[in-house]
Amino acid sequence: MKRNILISILVIVVFGGYLAYRMYADETIDVVKQNADVNISADALIAAFEKDSSSALKTYVDKVISVSGTVKTIDTSGTVILGAQGTESSIVFSLDRRHLKDYKFLNAGEAVIMQGKCTGAEMGEEMMGISLGTTIEFNFAGVKKKK
Amino acid sequence: MKITTLFLVLLSLAIASESAAQKYITRSGRISFTSTAPLEDIEGKNKTVIAAIDAKTGAVQFSVTMKGFEFEKSKMQEHFNENFVESDKFPKAEFKGAITNNKDINYSKPGTYPAKVNGQLTLHGVTKAMTSTGTITVLKDGVQVASDFSITVADYKISIPAAVRNKVAKTVKVVVDAKLDPVK
Repeated sequence: MKRNILISILVIVVFGGYLAYRMYADETIDVVKQNADVNISADALIAAFEKDSSSALKTYVDKVISVSGTVKTIDTSGTVILGAQGTESSIVFSLDRRHLKDYKFLNAGEAVIMQGKCTGAEMGEEMMGISLGTTIEFNFAGVKKKK
Repeated sequence: MKITTLFLVLLSLAIASESAAQKYITRSGRISFTSTAPLEDIEGKNKTVIAAIDAKTGAVQFSVTMKGFEFEKSKMQEHFNENFVESDKFPKAEFKGAITNNKDINYSKPGTYPAKVNGQLTLHGVTKAMTSTGTITVLKDGVQVASDFSITVADYKISIPAAVRNKVAKTVKVVVDAKLDPVK
């Protein structure tokens, strides 16, 4: 009887330890490989935020979104920005650590589909008199498809 | 010859004046922080920082979306947003300040210049005065800003749950690295 109780306790402790380890060792998901919650063009996404920013924040933040658009600029340290040249509004994608080299497949002016998790936006803001337009931000991002 | 010299002097002054009046901006600045604790080292990275510098006045401003920080472990990603910085409640961190030795930086001459910055950091709804040092590297196509400093999380009313106290340090090291482009 005592032996059975001891074995049961041991099993619970070992299993509990395994669960705790898994909880804290689990890596963040590669959202680029997931199915997107939303598929949308860069122009439509920017327009949505400009039309009703409160509603757009509720609709898009924390969602996995696949965005089709034109590459505006590439920062080789790990960021791709979509948007129309000559306009301030931009969609900024921070490349996931597993997709840091995705930018190598891209050139400014090319069409691309980027996927990532929307983290927020700056709408019609100015910083020190510099117009930021509408800037929508994503992280854990990568190239979903190059058009 | 005298006219040529005069022309060159005036041209140099015009270029220097233009550089001094220049503002610089980025939407892809990088801020990372490192926590070194007994059980674990944790690093969070944000590559969507918006930053601006006014070369004329030395004014500096950073805006950071807190949900933009990326961690390797999913539970830390969750704890950071839901428990530590409460990113739904306080979505942005912001620094507004000025380069106190701005007159020592020649924005028209490429090179690396030491910089000291004073300002106010707002994080988790708390605003505190802050000073840091770093460098400004003047490039042909913009400026590169680099700095590192430490933050005591309790100063910003960030509380660490007991369950992870051995995993998160009370003081974290912050590293700033941003390439800003001239505003056209």
